[in-house]
Amino acid sequence: MTLSLFVFVLLAVTLVGILAWTGRAPRRKPWTADQIFAALSSERHSLRLPAIVQALQPEDVAFLVERGHRKLRARLVRERRQIALRYLNQLQEDFEMLLEASRLLAVLSPEVIAMHEWERLKLSVRFSVCCAYLRWKLRLGLEPWRTFDALSTMAGSMALRVETATARMGERAAVGAAFSSTLQGRRG
Amino acid sequence: MVEPLHLRDLAWAVTTCCEIVLLFYLWNRRRYSTHPVLFLYVVAVVVQSALAMLVYEEWGYSTRAYWVVAWGTQMLVICARGWAVFELAHRSLGAYRGIWALAWRVLFSVGAVVLAYGLLFAHGQWTTVVMNAGRGMELSIAAIIVTLLLFTRYYRVPIAPLDRSLAIGFCLYSCFYVANFSLFEPHLSSRAYFWNFLDISAFLASLLLWIVAVRRYPGDSRAEQRITISSEVYGQLSENLNLRLHLLNEHLAELLRPGGPRP
Repeated sequence: MTLSLFVFVLLAVTLVGILAWTGRAPRRKPWTADQIFAALSSERHSLRLPAIVQALQPEDVAFLVERGHRKLRARLVRERRQIALRYLNQLQEDFEMLLEASRLLAVLSPEVIAMHEWERLKLSVRFSVCCAYLRWKLRLGLEPWRTFDALSTMAGSMALRVETATARMGERAAVGAAFSSTLQGRRG
Repeated sequence: MVEPLHLRDLAWAVTTCCEIVLLFYLWNRRRYSTHPVLFLYVVAVVVQSALAMLVYEEWGYSTRAYWVVAWGTQMLVICARGWAVFELAHRSLGAYRGIWALAWRVLFSVGAVVLAYGLLFAHGQWTTVVMNAGRGMELSIAAIIVTLLLFTRYYRVPIAPLDRSLAIGFCLYSCFYVANFSLFEPHLSSRAYFWNFLDISAFLASLLLWIVAVRRYPGDSRAEQRITISSEVYGQLSENLNLRLHLLNEHLAELLRPGGPRP
């Protein structure tokens, strides 16, 4: 069999594979319109978590090692890793909520801006890859301290910027109210 | 042992019967009003079978006349299949004007690119060119259907069970055709009967799926036209959503940077 014929067969098999995948139920239940608008207008969990993260600096652990509390240090490492993973989960949840909102928006719009949709697709792929990479890095214990430190330092500034963006969306709350009721009709 | 030729003839006869049964159900359930192009496509398939059978009886299988009729009509049938797939896409996404405006362009582009790729290999004798073109068109149809289903999944647009079953039938047959033809292409002259038998069997499987779907599912569950927000509002909200997504992404990227976060 030549390479071109092999490629044809491979394409056909891949298409059947994707076809089967599209028939699977989504991993999570779709958000309702109310959930989305409530989430968009309220403070997100990921904005609160950095405060917890901030309180746990790597210096604490160095101090414990010097004093010989190795068990306590190990427990702290585990707990911090869990917190970092939780933080990642919240970030991912926020991201998925925004994607869900954008989908609903597109469904009800008479004109979808292809560039916006394309940009979102790129962002979501990039986010998924980075998130999975970071999650595994944390689980395997690879440089968790630096990651953790980065989390705490970054969180404050990011929270501010995301909140600013949220506020801009809040300015259009009036639109959202009408939008929400329509969406409710669609989902319900 | 049953000879391959007889097996193929048997499969052909059963397939023609199933085509007629499908046509009957489409007529009986008044699907010609909800799926007019699909109805025309099935009519074209029945006519093709009848025509091929007449030519086969008159001149036999291994004749030029049979080949011209079989492949000439096959091209028309594939075009009708493509049109029926477009109808399915419009039924599924047409009610969502914004998405449809984007989707038909994407579907068209995907179809054109895949078809062009398929046609790249259509060279040699004109008989081979026609058969290769057929493969390119089938691959294009399958790619369009998969893209359509990805669209509906991404935007969580509900798709009627009948339309989904029809799309799956079209896609499975097209994929099987591409794989079958590609695997047998180098040995087509010696294994033509067996290749043809497998092809007919795959089409028979799709026909059975469609018959069950037409019998079981209602066909008039098309989504109503809904427009609730203006393009301007969509543009503004969409831009803000993208900004927030971008910020979250940036946040994650900073965490992954080797030197840690920037001040």
